[in-house]
Amino acid sequence: MDTIHACFKEKIGEVLLPGDVFSFSFPESGDGSIKTEKVICGPGLRRNGEEVQVCKSGILRHKQPNMYWIDSQQRRYVPAKGESVIGIVTAKSGDIFKVDVGGSEQASLSYLAFEGATKRNRPNVQVGDLVYGQFTIANKDMEPELVCIDSCGRANGMGVFGADGLLFKVSLGLVRRLLAPQSEIVKDLEKIFPFELVVGMNGRVWVKAKTVQQTLIVTNLLETCENMTSQQRQTLFKKVAEGSL
Amino acid sequence: MAGLELLSDQGYRLDGRKASELRKVQARMSVFAQADGSAYLEQGNTKALAVVYGPHETRGSRSKSLHDRAVINCQYSMATFSTAERKRRPHGDRKSSEMSLHLKQTFEAAVLTELYPRSQIDIYVKILQADGGNYSACVNAATLALVDAGIPMRDYVCACTAGFVEDTPLADLCHAEESGGGTSLALALLPRSGNIALLQMDARLHQDHLDPLIEAAMTACKGLSKVLDGVVRQHLEEVSVLTRD
Repeated sequence: MDTIHACFKEKIGEVLLPGDVFSFSFPESGDGSIKTEKVICGPGLRRNGEEVQVCKSGILRHKQPNMYWIDSQQRRYVPAKGESVIGIVTAKSGDIFKVDVGGSEQASLSYLAFEGATKRNRPNVQVGDLVYGQFTIANKDMEPELVCIDSCGRANGMGVFGADGLLFKVSLGLVRRLLAPQSEIVKDLEKIFPFELVVGMNGRVWVKAKTVQQTLIVTNLLETCENMTSQQRQTLFKKVAEGSL
Repeated sequence: MAGLELLSDQGYRLDGRKASELRKVQARMSVFAQADGSAYLEQGNTKALAVVYGPHETRGSRSKSLHDRAVINCQYSMATFSTAERKRRPHGDRKSSEMSLHLKQTFEAAVLTELYPRSQIDIYVKILQADGGNYSACVNAATLALVDAGIPMRDYVCACTAGFVEDTPLADLCHAEESGGGTSLALALLPRSGNIALLQMDARLHQDHLDPLIEAAMTACKGLSKVLDGVVRQHLEEVSVLTRD
């Protein structure tokens, strides 16, 4: 009985709003043999007893064989445990730094949460610096906490960065596309000229290229990528690659 | 105004509408790129612009933040060119403070503030052209702006005005009908549950007429909610189609 798949299939590609519900009517088990179907509910869908509810607004997408999710366009970041983000240090108070991560509250970062930091050997972090860290605590009841070391005590790419370069904000969907394992956008950008790129899950991206002009070109390309199809993007990148020195 | 009938014998009002007809509603979302959420709404000749920032850290004094929910901060203002006579309105005058307080009350009922403790949500609304129903246009525009900002709400908040002439309730009053001296009722409703967020009435009304008047306003609000829902879905389609990879 493909009732579940049929219910979803008719809504693929349609706009759904939070509060929309998929309810499945299972026929009485008269014959005794009910085929169990496995359906994976991705982000934006939530199971509530016998129903599946939509909790984010967006378009329903489907991936073979049985995965469904809501493709949502969001700019506002909500801190979640384990995510790596770019933060801006806003204050130093006692033993912790206050970091702005773009959420509803500022996160706290202890000065001991850096590689090789001890009580005597304090890390060199000033107000206004950029830090790349991970959330250890992130829920609505407590203040979010960041750390710049992993569970083994190594920095692993995290910490203070950004002596030069430019920080800008994009939507969360674009950030996810950039962080995907085989990201087309990053591959196409690499062909134009070399640059350093740091992507935070809170929608913040930091770029540094050899000259200021190249940095600005990469920034503008990434910001326009949001509203372009892949065809338009490839033609634009090709035009820039030919036109730039 | 002698001889100016609010409702003619054939049942037509001053602008040619029937008693229960609403004015034409047009709206656009995401009109500002800098704000978290923004919307522009026209209800007949009344034009309102709403901008939402947040949820973010409480600005100013720490004491204003609540430990278990977000604070909603509303500001209502009218442009100097919005009325028939150009009039400079200072910030913080009595009328705009009262309207700001009403808007705050309305949205505290609808926004799920428990999800963002110790933070603040700012809603700024400006009337660009005032032709009656200022409060309603503000509420409708702010609802769309909150949806655009991705802030979770219990339901759309739809507002409409209603008046009473002879024995007929009129829905969606324009400026001439409001200032005629008759009753004017403003209602803000959460359409799906039928819960009233705010109810305000000017002038006197016979007790027997109250129920039909509220009924007329509720029906108008439910019709408006369908229009707002259509605007949101259309905006989502436009934005999502572009980002499909």
